[in-house]
Amino acid sequence: MTADDAASSAAGIPLRPFYTAADASGGYAGIGDPGAYPYTRGRMRPLAARRRGWIHRELSGEGSPRRSNEQLQALLAGGALGIDVIGDNPTMSALDPDHPMCVPAVGTTGVSLCRKQDFVELLEGIPLDEITLSHSLPPAFALAGQYLASPRHGIDPRVLRGSAIQPPLYSEDCSYATFLPFATRMRLTLDSIVFALREMPRFHAFLEDTYYISDGGLDAVEEMSLGFLEIREVCRRLLARGVPVDSFAPRIAILVNCRMDVFEEIAKIRATRRLFARMMREEFGATDPRSLSVNIAVHTSGLTLTAAQPANNIVRGTVQAMAMAMAGVQGLEISTFDEPFRTPSAIAHQVAIRTQQVIHTETNITAVEDPLGGSWYLESLTDELERRIDAAVREMEELGDAGTLAENGYFRGIFLRGMDRHSSAVQSGDLRVVGVNEHVIPPEDDRFLRDIAEQRFEPDHAHVERIRAWRPTRGAAPLQAGLERVREASADPDADLMGPIVAALDADATIGEITGCLRQGAGLPGDPFEFAAARGTRA
Amino acid sequence: MTGPGPARPGKIVIGTLGLDQHEVGAMAIGQILVRHGYEVIYLGRFNTPQRLAAAAEQEDADLIGVSVHSWEYAAYADELLARCRDLGIGLVVGGSVLTEKDQAALLARGADAVFGPYASEATMLRQIEAVVRRVRGGDDDPPALAHQPGPGPGRAMPLAGRVVIVTGAAHGLGRAYALELCRQGAAVVADDIDEAALKEVTDAAAGLPGSVHAIACDITGADAPRTLLDAALRRYGQLHGLVANAGLLRSGPILQLTDSDLRLLLDVHLTAPFRLLRVIGGYWRAESKAGRGVEASAVLTTSAAGLYGFRAEAAYSAAKAAVAMLARVGADELGRYGATVNAVAPVARTRLTPWLGEAAADHGAGPAADAAADPAADHGDDPLAAGHVAPVIAWLLGPAARNVTGRVLEAGNGQVSAPSAWQPGPQFPLPSLMSPEAADALLPRVLASAVPPPEMLAAQDPRGA
Repeated sequence: MTADDAASSAAGIPLRPFYTAADASGGYAGIGDPGAYPYTRGRMRPLAARRRGWIHRELSGEGSPRRSNEQLQALLAGGALGIDVIGDNPTMSALDPDHPMCVPAVGTTGVSLCRKQDFVELLEGIPLDEITLSHSLPPAFALAGQYLASPRHGIDPRVLRGSAIQPPLYSEDCSYATFLPFATRMRLTLDSIVFALREMPRFHAFLEDTYYISDGGLDAVEEMSLGFLEIREVCRRLLARGVPVDSFAPRIAILVNCRMDVFEEIAKIRATRRLFARMMREEFGATDPRSLSVNIAVHTSGLTLTAAQPANNIVRGTVQAMAMAMAGVQGLEISTFDEPFRTPSAIAHQVAIRTQQVIHTETNITAVEDPLGGSWYLESLTDELERRIDAAVREMEELGDAGTLAENGYFRGIFLRGMDRHSSAVQSGDLRVVGVNEHVIPPEDDRFLRDIAEQRFEPDHAHVERIRAWRPTRGAAPLQAGLERVREASADPDADLMGPIVAALDADATIGEITGCLRQGAGLPGDPFEFAAARGTRA
Repeated sequence: MTGPGPARPGKIVIGTLGLDQHEVGAMAIGQILVRHGYEVIYLGRFNTPQRLAAAAEQEDADLIGVSVHSWEYAAYADELLARCRDLGIGLVVGGSVLTEKDQAALLARGADAVFGPYASEATMLRQIEAVVRRVRGGDDDPPALAHQPGPGPGRAMPLAGRVVIVTGAAHGLGRAYALELCRQGAAVVADDIDEAALKEVTDAAAGLPGSVHAIACDITGADAPRTLLDAALRRYGQLHGLVANAGLLRSGPILQLTDSDLRLLLDVHLTAPFRLLRVIGGYWRAESKAGRGVEASAVLTTSAAGLYGFRAEAAYSAAKAAVAMLARVGADELGRYGATVNAVAPVARTRLTPWLGEAAADHGAGPAADAAADPAADHGDDPLAAGHVAPVIAWLLGPAARNVTGRVLEAGNGQVSAPSAWQPGPQFPLPSLMSPEAADALLPRVLASAVPPPEMLAAQDPRGA
């Protein structure tokens, strides 16, 4: 936001000094009641469900699966109502912890998962029939791992609820690279969605994650237009396979970002609901109301947090969480105050959960659906964001096939420009950030909470040794047969990948081995770094 | 800000290490550098030290810049540093996950500049520019270095990554020391009671490769050494050196010096360095016992007055003599923890030496005195400028002087020497229960056989300091 008289939103929407009834152009019909098309105001829930509010959860995962399991248990004991697990850097890259490039990173930014047994250990004692489990993990493996692990704990996969992020278009350009070509990534997405529809029917196997793509510095319009572009691409391909829209559309959910321009963020969520409903009904022909009213969860922005004066991050998280509670999101994760320094500490987790609980139980925000609906300003912003997001999607779709755009670096260019724009705005002071370019205090006076924030832990070398020692104990024949099936399936563009992946994981193949075979089947080197090097520098 | 100055723009290879996929920082600094005229080779993610170094070598880059968002960097740092050293290029590391301790550790291991969450664009540009100049200076123009012992681009930085406390750093010699240490790459924790003048030293250090962290604190306070040590550790995580320089002028012959002046004089000149050695020595001992011993050095300030005596300044001379001995015995005591202790007797025109000439005739912190104390300032050929002593102090704190301990160097006015300490004289048998007559006969012979003490200094003697 600039200090100019001509105010604008964070995404550059010009703002007037005040708004009147004339500014909400669509009239009430364009907004609708909660629970009614076009679902601007979300669903209409019975009082008890409304009172339960959103799913309180926090991003978690740290060290070995067992250590992460303790973390999950602690979060649930502290009142978390769902779990969101993220992998460490090797796991996010679909590599095994004992790969030479991985050892220094094992467990330091998330959980280390590479085999069936890891999923079993991670989920031991977690009431998966009562809570939701969201996977911020390579989705095909997360779904396969949970599918295999749940019965070991006496839970039928058919009752599982939760979500798995599907990032086929953007993952390679934006933090979640798995070193797989676009065609393979898209096949994994489609096959794993179809697999989950069949085997885990209550699970949201298609979570469109616009958080990770936007938290480098994209604005709300860029964030949601890229999100819709990916949703539309995946939907078209599912429809082309003959999957009925009303069978998969209810299993789509969206995980969005929430930055500091809170009215814009609230309006973004309302505009997204309306765009989704219109798209599903008018373009894809959905008729089931559950296909039209999309679940939206939110992760508050890590980019808005500052290393300076970390206590201020608690305030930022609170402001964002309160805005999202008023927007009526279905799930909420607050980026913890120590996020600029590390994965969340136990106390930072607790503060974040407590923040959600205070907002939920003490403010009465959940008494009414869409409490801000009818605000002339908010309705006007909602209309304008809807218009801009829709226009941006059409513009990109006119450029050509999304897969080609991905392979040609079109999206990467958007991400890099966003990062540059954000950092320039902070450096110039155009984007005002307390403690960074205003109200700065000297580092020696900035000690509060830093001791917690700056705590370190070592890579989990013991887990690396565990995996190394375990490898030779596996049955060689079923393992090799399982991997060969993956390789063959990868080489056949019409084959299903999910069946062979589940079977190979069940035969104790590792995620690294399986992705190696996926690459080989696509005619690429098995080792991802040869693949990365072959692509050359990507500026 | 401008680019790196030389005709050819600075060239920097930028990327992240290992599986660290967060590129925001790398992108941001890359774009900033491009806007300021640098040539950036952006390697993105999934780099190894080998890959970064290969690109730097192929592109003939001046330095490698690594942005870190994950702790993986620690596993690659030594390999990367070694490759940069082999190539003769710089290494700059930045990221908000880098705590002050991480930053100090990287500098100590040999990184040329490290940026944590507080680094501003201006700071980063200034330091990167300094690294480029140094790298260029090292390979483009080595003969110029030999002829130019003074300040200038391309100087070696033997103190890079070392953290040094300098007391009495606001004026005169202390100011000159602080700035020279910065010029050689050190991080200086600068103490003085004159807060305003200290601020000017911090400002003067802007643009130098090292840094000055100012602490306004009265060194005669019992807590002062702890305060300074804590400040150094909070800011940099480590402490390698101490320059106990703070002094004051309480002048007077024995018959006139009051108790309060005597107490103040001894507090500043003797008790304060003693306490600094006790507290900082204790820290070095603890680090050493924990297996984290550093190459530690303390430099105390004695004086020609303490070595030879100064007319009508008995108390000052006695205190400075004590400091010389403090260095000698302190060296023995702290040596086992990896620390050297030496003393320097500076000869320079400062506020404490008004008899040396007009520059500080008003006893004040005149700008002329401070200008003279800045070796970078144009002080012509004045051999009494404080800046000439500073390189001696820096050398004692540096890697070349690891085996020098318990010694005194006298430096300034165009000369440097290592004065002899007290030596035993020729020995005579001491008769048991010597009679007065025997004493009359023997002791004059004993004295006559010994080397007489050097001539005492007086205000006219330019050695007096």
